[in-house]
Amino acid sequence: MEVIRMIAKRLVLMCTVVVIATFLLSLLMWILPGDPVQMMVPNAIDTQRDVIREATGLDRGIFGYYWKWLHDVLTGNFGSYYLNGGTQPVSTVLARSLPPTLQLICYSQVVSLVISIPLGLITAYKENSRLDKFISSIMFTLISLPSFAFALILALVISVKLGWVDPVGYEPFGGDILKHFRQMALPVVSLSVGLAASYTRLLRNDVIATLKEDYVTMAASKGISDRRVLWKHVFRPSSTTLLTSAALNMGGLIGGTLIVETIFAIPGIGYEIFYTIGARQVVAMQTMIALIAFAYVFFNSTVDLLTNITDPRTRERRN
Amino acid sequence: MTTTTITTVPTTKSVRKRPIGFYIASTWLVLIVFCAIFGSLLPLPIWNEGQYDYLGVGPFSAPGHLLGTTNDGYDMLSGLVNGARISLFVSVISVTVGGLIGGLIGITSAYYRGKFDGAVQLIFNVMLSIPNLVLSLALISSFAADTDTQEATVARRMTVLIFSLTIVIIPIVGRIARGSALQWSSKEFVLASKSMGTPNLVIIRKHILPNVAPAMLAIAFLAVGSVIIVEGSLALLGVGIPGGASWGSMLATGRNYLEFSPHEVYMPALAIAFTVISTNYFGDYVRNHLDKRESKI
Repeated sequence: MEVIRMIAKRLVLMCTVVVIATFLLSLLMWILPGDPVQMMVPNAIDTQRDVIREATGLDRGIFGYYWKWLHDVLTGNFGSYYLNGGTQPVSTVLARSLPPTLQLICYSQVVSLVISIPLGLITAYKENSRLDKFISSIMFTLISLPSFAFALILALVISVKLGWVDPVGYEPFGGDILKHFRQMALPVVSLSVGLAASYTRLLRNDVIATLKEDYVTMAASKGISDRRVLWKHVFRPSSTTLLTSAALNMGGLIGGTLIVETIFAIPGIGYEIFYTIGARQVVAMQTMIALIAFAYVFFNSTVDLLTNITDPRTRERRN
Repeated sequence: MTTTTITTVPTTKSVRKRPIGFYIASTWLVLIVFCAIFGSLLPLPIWNEGQYDYLGVGPFSAPGHLLGTTNDGYDMLSGLVNGARISLFVSVISVTVGGLIGGLIGITSAYYRGKFDGAVQLIFNVMLSIPNLVLSLALISSFAADTDTQEATVARRMTVLIFSLTIVIIPIVGRIARGSALQWSSKEFVLASKSMGTPNLVIIRKHILPNVAPAMLAIAFLAVGSVIIVEGSLALLGVGIPGGASWGSMLATGRNYLEFSPHEVYMPALAIAFTVISTNYFGDYVRNHLDKRESKI
């Protein structure tokens, strides 16, 4: 019963956040000088503008417009891009641009977890050794490196100087699979470096704390090999923070991919958002940002809820 | 005997000896701040004046241009020095203003609790639900876009850039300040002070603020780093400060000549990276010392 109440509370909060965020965006658009329709289609004639104004609800005032947008989105109509020649539904653009972004995010997560888990365990196990200091300081440096700097340097060395992959471009998963992975390699690496570094640090801290627990001493004194103790007894209880942070990043990464997608010309969500904002497609922009905000809040609440349910200690601590 | 050695040795060590990273980070930051303040007095070529004898020369190979020149013939070193001024100005102003506003809101909401706190948390959540880059991108392109008739001026771009970065910083610092203030306002000495009838504002000023300040300082250092990164990203997307003034916009310009003069990209990238590493280092340093202090209490 308590769980259901908790879920309901989270759901209400989640919806409130997304609704307020999108309403503030509409408000921002409304108070700006200039006519939104004029911004979207600068070269259209008056009758076309009236049609657009009617279709988007921009003729009904701020609340009317927002209500129509909300109603449309909830009933599955995501609005349209109004280009000078015609319209294009946002849902088509989403269907086209979601797969590359999701692939990028998933690959980056997998790569960074695969790198960071062994590194985190080994640095914690050999805490304060020379190896630990070496790896930890490299990780510290990598966290601070902006992903665009890394992306540009990779593009320079790997594609321009060595010519191993094309500097820009995307190959869908369904096409040439080898080319797909080759083209994804640089963006994934530039995204994963920072992620892997921060995951390593998180895991290292948690493992160091877990290693001090009595049951670890107990396991070791039973004669279980260190490797086995680390993987079987230490890793699982120490992985909560790591997994929480990884899940939280799922929402945040959509924004993070924006710059990498632009540099490597991958037609994903980030790239589309950049285009949408640049082309001043206010209605489409609102839908896109609502989507990101929803993804962020959704992952945030789900993770919070899951840790609450699976680990009752966090619940007590909070109350 | 053994207990005395255990208790004395670590304390003297941690107080006296600072790690080498501390010196490296502080040297770099002092250098950058010096360049930002006194950069115009240094005997360097004017940063945006073309030196047409040398176009796109690499570092250490042209007389008078220590770090080479850009493809437009601008001197790299003076560009970097000028970029330090712009980048630091943008990030320090937005972090200071955003940090003060966010800290103030965070502390008062944690102290007074209730409905106000709930509303503040909701607003922070709303602001955090939109990624930094997307939020500032949307703000900048709404307020300082090039229209068909006129191009946005540098000053306008910069004002809007600082404004939107400030808005991005507010919830980040605010949430940390709130968390820390929440912890401190439940301490006994605050309760004691309240029961003696001390006015709330005095309690906040004398008891809460000094204790929350270190945590805010730590997050402010980290925030300076991330603001520099966001500024660079915005410049790469073409909505930063135009004309190659900041490090980010140098990078954005240099990107077009990646193949011919790569130093045009990696020099500003390194400057950004070093600065972010240093500020992150200080943020961590302050936070670690904070933990030590708190564990003693």
